[in-house]
Amino acid sequence: MTSGSSAHDVALEWPDGHEERVSVAEDEPILSAAEHAGVALPFGCRTGACATCTGKLLDGRIEHTRPPRALKQRHRDAGYVLLCIAEPRSDCRIAVGADIQAELVSNPWR
Amino acid sequence: MSDAQQPDDTTAHTEHEHHDTEGPGYATPQAAIEESEPEEVAYVMGLYVGTDVDAPDFLGVVDVDPDSDTYTEIVDRVEMPNRGDELHHFGWNACSSSCHMDGLERRHLVIPGQRSSRIHVVDTKDRRNPELESVIEPEEVFEHDLSAPHTTHCIPDGQILISMLGDADGDLPGGFLALDENFEVDGRWEPPGEIEMNYDYWYQPRHNVMVSSEWAAPKTYYPGFDFEDVEAGNYGQRLHVWDWENKTVEQTIDLGEEGLIPLEVRFLHSPEATHGYVGAALSSNVFHFHEASEARSASEQSSGDKPRDGDEWRAESVIDVEAREHDGWDMPVPGLVTDLLVSMDDRYLFFSNWLHGDVRMYDISDPANPRLADRIWAGGHFGDPAPVQDRELAGGPQMLQLSLDGERLYWTTSLFSSWDNQFYPEEAERGSVMLKADVDPRNGSMSLDEEFLVDFGDLPGGPARAHEIRWPDGDCTSDVWQ
Ligand code: FES
Repeated sequence: MTSGSSAHDVALEWPDGHEERVSVAEDEPILSAAEHAGVALPFGCRTGACATCTGKLLDGRIEHTRPPRALKQRHRDAGYVLLCIAEPRSDCRIAVGADIQAELVSNPWR
Repeated sequence: MSDAQQPDDTTAHTEHEHHDTEGPGYATPQAAIEESEPEEVAYVMGLYVGTDVDAPDFLGVVDVDPDSDTYTEIVDRVEMPNRGDELHHFGWNACSSSCHMDGLERRHLVIPGQRSSRIHVVDTKDRRNPELESVIEPEEVFEHDLSAPHTTHCIPDGQILISMLGDADGDLPGGFLALDENFEVDGRWEPPGEIEMNYDYWYQPRHNVMVSSEWAAPKTYYPGFDFEDVEAGNYGQRLHVWDWENKTVEQTIDLGEEGLIPLEVRFLHSPEATHGYVGAALSSNVFHFHEASEARSASEQSSGDKPRDGDEWRAESVIDVEAREHDGWDMPVPGLVTDLLVSMDDRYLFFSNWLHGDVRMYDISDPANPRLADRIWAGGHFGDPAPVQDRELAGGPQMLQLSLDGERLYWTTSLFSSWDNQFYPEEAERGSVMLKADVDPRNGSMSLDEEFLVDFGDLPGGPARAHEIRWPDGDCTSDVWQ
């Protein structure tokens, strides 16, 4: 299969209603594609360890190119994805922004 | 640990004959107190990582000279070339431990990115206008199967040593990365596999010892704090006592449940001292560690080279911060001891309870028996956080720095972006503050200076977090003496 030839339409949606659409090739991490398109997303390690780039997949399919170490199984089950190591396998809608990472953990004493 | 382990110029070290050398720093901790001028600028980490503010983290230059027109203002910012670093702790290329290195200057700041594993070198020749000099890219770090750089100390031969919390994948084990005097990666410092978890460290060259502590694997703490990880044993509770010259762990001390997440390690400043402290964040204890005297004299009596068997170093909890009930919260809340420091005269210990919101001062004239001298409440989840100059405080006291003369204590309020978001979510919207207390070392008291406020919430790019603080002329949390 020649990769790079097929691109998908990825809609990035911030909690405040702001939305951006980016075309992402199948062999390109969504974070990098967004950067190239001039769309700023939060990130940190770029290796799948820190979860700073967490998004929530609302629609569509992605594949992580490396194990998403920063996500626990419960997070993965709930649809959270790491955009630094996620490639699209279909058109996608993804909730993004720093608030999505903050959903992963809450104040345990509260 | 014997005199045989001393470097060649032992005589100069012991007698402090410095008149014919021009190395950086001060000959003794006492000289640092007596000869230093009051601090005029502070270097402070400012962060945008993990927020929607599309800007890189920066090194902030804060004017702390009360006679200056721009007092308490951020007068300059060195922006890093990339976003996403999470600048955290940083260190000088040289400190008082290099006082015999002719021509070496305390001039370059080595500033790692905790999340990115990128390492920046900033030239502070012009103190008020420092400049980025060079950058070590993450790939060069990953090559040595290390990531998540934390504590940066210069070590006496001109090298820089950085504790690294993870392997290239953000997993365990961590280790130590050495840079050479040209700020290029020299390689791994220790034989790999000596430790699993890593965090902070401090060395005491005259005793050939280093003590390191444990946070967790980067993949564990990066996303935020989760009790599941505590239950799974994913957080640290041990101290490692190293043979400094051999770069090997000689002894590991398990602090147990009272010592969960031991973070900052501080030896007393006197190069003779074999006493130090470490704060355990989650269990909110302060441990006193020391070389056990019986064991020491036994090894001194044994002829020639060590074998040093037995537990020569001990650690005991000497301060216990009680968890407190919080209205509307399910469980008692720990203080979360996240930073501590020892005054340059080794007389006082200061630490922060980030969740409770107090900064404490203890008299440690008797190191094994700290005595509470005073405390200040500012921000936090208790203590009725009063605004300073009408500025609401969004976090609790966190990273501390003390003037060399011990009379001015400063602190910032951010811990780590993802942890801030859990415990002080307002800090992302309001940004951090830097505060100051006036300390009276004679009476053992301190008071909040209401005139002093540096607002990191009020910056062109948007509100920023503020973390570690350093002085150009050395600090109580970085300088080591040989
Ligand atoms: S940037 Fe760290 S997990 Fe994606």
